[in-house]
Amino acid sequence: MEQFDVAIVGGGSAGLSALKKLSDLNKSAILIEAGDKIGTKNVSGGILYSKNDPTGRIFNVEDVFGEDFESSAPIERLIKKYYLHATSGNKIFTMDLTPLHEYKTNFGFSVLLNRLNPWFAERASESAEKQGGGIITGVHVSDIQWIENKTIVRTNELEDFQVKSIIAADGINSEVAEITSARSKFNPEEVYFGVKVIIKLPEKIIEERFHLDSSEGSAHLLAGDITLNHVGGGFLYTNRETLSLGAVYHYNSLLSNPVAPAQLVDELIKNPLVSEYIKDEVPTRGENDDLSKEDQLKVQLSVSKLIKTYNDLRYKYFSKNNGGLIESGRFNNTEEIKSRIDSIKQDLTEKYGTKFVNNYVELEYSAKLIPDGKRCVMKRPYYNNVLFIGDAAGRGIFIGPKIEGINVGIDDAVRASIAVSRSIEKNNFDSDYLGNYFQSMINESPYTRQMIKIDEGYLSLFLDLVKDISFSSANPGFEFGLRMMKNKRFRETALRLANILGYKRILPIIESERAYVKVPMQLADKLGKVVTSSYTPEIPALSERIAKLQYNDDTEPHITVNDKRSEFMKKLILLCPTKCYSLEGKDVMLQHEGCVECGTCSIGTRWRHPKGEKGIRYRYG
Amino acid sequence: MLNVGVIIKLEPDFSEGNVSYNSDGTLNRAETKNILGPHSAIACNAAFYCKVKYGARISIGTMGPPIAESALKQAQVLTDAEELNLYSDRLFAGADTLATAEVLKNGVEKMFGADKMDIVFSGHRASDGETGQTGPQTAWKLGYTFLGNVMDFDIDLDRKVIVAKRLISLQGMDTIIEEIECPLPVFITIDPSYKSAFSTVSQRLGANKYSKQGRKKSENYAQFLKTYDSQKLDLDPKLVGLPGSPTIVYRVERIPRAKTNRKTAIIDPSNPDNLTPVVTKIIEIARGK
Repeated sequence: MEQFDVAIVGGGSAGLSALKKLSDLNKSAILIEAGDKIGTKNVSGGILYSKNDPTGRIFNVEDVFGEDFESSAPIERLIKKYYLHATSGNKIFTMDLTPLHEYKTNFGFSVLLNRLNPWFAERASESAEKQGGGIITGVHVSDIQWIENKTIVRTNELEDFQVKSIIAADGINSEVAEITSARSKFNPEEVYFGVKVIIKLPEKIIEERFHLDSSEGSAHLLAGDITLNHVGGGFLYTNRETLSLGAVYHYNSLLSNPVAPAQLVDELIKNPLVSEYIKDEVPTRGENDDLSKEDQLKVQLSVSKLIKTYNDLRYKYFSKNNGGLIESGRFNNTEEIKSRIDSIKQDLTEKYGTKFVNNYVELEYSAKLIPDGKRCVMKRPYYNNVLFIGDAAGRGIFIGPKIEGINVGIDDAVRASIAVSRSIEKNNFDSDYLGNYFQSMINESPYTRQMIKIDEGYLSLFLDLVKDISFSSANPGFEFGLRMMKNKRFRETALRLANILGYKRILPIIESERAYVKVPMQLADKLGKVVTSSYTPEIPALSERIAKLQYNDDTEPHITVNDKRSEFMKKLILLCPTKCYSLEGKDVMLQHEGCVECGTCSIGTRWRHPKGEKGIRYRYG
Repeated sequence: MLNVGVIIKLEPDFSEGNVSYNSDGTLNRAETKNILGPHSAIACNAAFYCKVKYGARISIGTMGPPIAESALKQAQVLTDAEELNLYSDRLFAGADTLATAEVLKNGVEKMFGADKMDIVFSGHRASDGETGQTGPQTAWKLGYTFLGNVMDFDIDLDRKVIVAKRLISLQGMDTIIEEIECPLPVFITIDPSYKSAFSTVSQRLGANKYSKQGRKKSENYAQFLKTYDSQKLDLDPKLVGLPGSPTIVYRVERIPRAKTNRKTAIIDPSNPDNLTPVVTKIIEIARGK
């Protein structure tokens, strides 16, 4: 049997960071990823932060992947502005929360994980190969066994191999956690459910519309009636030439008030503020009823080709350096490109009756469970010689507008790597030596503190930001609470009390429908401005959204339903984001082919990731 | 160390959109894009497997005009080959399979400075010729054991023996998989069903390393390229090209168009009534009317 020092399970941001860090510590590690390529199974909101904290060291992305991260990595935009929009019908009340975004922040970039993680992988494997390690994709870890002091990793694809320790970075639906029984599956009250669409929009239009300088971006959070009475909210982040638009809600809140996930995004799209943000001029085919069926097909084909050329040219025209159209010598100047685009447009309109209408272009639909670190962080993130990091360990910071996941995973990864490296040097992988040390390192992380205690600095800043808002007309009770909290002494006492009670007890008060739905709606109603949209976006049906996704179907389902008649599974008929469940007679039946592997059903099923290379392949993530 | 040779061929790319025809319906070779033949690519994969599993060094050879260099480059991406050999001479023009085999035989004998070869791979046929004779004839000329349609193999390095599974079909019988053990050197034509199975972590890491290396090497493939003409290959002009080809193309006949009696009718699905005749027809066929 082959032997290795460390196996990292899962090639997301955390796993890749662990591989990079361990290799830089001159240790040999192999990373096993089930997807056919790195990045195809990863989804995030998402903003990647680099943070600082006077109370302790934080290991940031640039510490792991190099100081040239900002200039070399395929990041989308540097987020400079951070807004919260309270919505009620067509009334919107906007608050600028940029200071909160900047709080203890070195930078925050919008990212698409299927772009960023492959870059991480390139850097990590370069370092790993020097140590005799590397990345293996398309392999699914199916079991881990401890036999006579040997740790044996079993996969669906390769021969068993032996390791000295394991770093589990296999995400929120961690199978390693289940195999080791290091933690039980997360309950609905411990996780958020997120659903997201990627929207195409030309680079320069994004900059003009959101008032941004080149390569800078903004983030927008939404709360109020767009939540459809759920705890959570919407988000819209600007990427380089796309927008990430999504909805994140507490799973519990969705269970008590079930709504189809796609509808949660649709609700955002229909909001006039959002529809105006995502608007683009989209060609729509005209009718050619007077032609025979065969001729219609021919016309359709040529129209499709023309529209493709039109779109390609237009997106490039509106991007930095005109997408290299002039550099490559295809065009001499921007006017030439413009006139070519115009002439195609004219052809399409006059010859083929194509209409250019206001609409929006959706590229990818995705869904993911997100650990609510406040509620589900693993108390002991290890088992034997297995360390858990990132989503797998239930680590993420989601407190109101504070949304951090990737950076927490990276910080965990560094700590795990240091702990494992120390164990390799002493050849001691006992949980007393390795696990305890990792635990103490994790406890030192400022992120861990933020998951347990309310950060007073952050809260004060928040109170400062809202102090000038006249809540009295909107919600007198709320205003009273805020006014009390502005008093430093009262705040200190309240915080002390809150931190004694712990997040778990006070969260039902903070994270309530009142805070996420009612107060924002009242604010929008009383103080908001009316926003109107110039068009009605044509929202694709779920079937169209799924049809756009890429899958490598497995003939065998990776999920088995535990109880086909349970109330929970019946709710999944509506709550599964790709409608994999349906009712046949009294039984809930699974059709696994459209599964996006979010794990929403995992608590009621025997949930496994698909075998190597199988399942969903996201293109943006 | 195992010495592995691969014989490849530059072929027209028959994938959609890349084929160009003359007005008489024959292939326009000048306009059609050329690529490493799909069967050659499978032979390359088999050689690459030897590199990863047994630490083989690889030499690639092809006969063709100077543009065949591009096939060598593509093969280097797939195999991380140490050596690329182009056998190119105007004298080789018009060669049939036998005359080609003569060139390839001398080519293989010069691989790695005339070191002894252990295995030579080739595709089981070309996609533009399809006779499947070049491989076996080269093997015969080299005097190597010939193994055709090999789908899987394992090498015992100490004993210098190969165990290969070959796909054979005999008339009147189902497909048979034959397992053969024979001493090296061998000439293998690889079956299209061959798939490299890297079954251990080390093999997968090795495969990653060598394919990265192969991609890098191929950027400067000219460094690895040696070109041979008939003189350098010590070939007898009577045995190559047209003079060395016993095959006489007597006449070329175009494949007659198959007669069709299909009729297409387009049905408008918006009116469900239009579907009735379709369903009736299907039922009729199902009942065998």
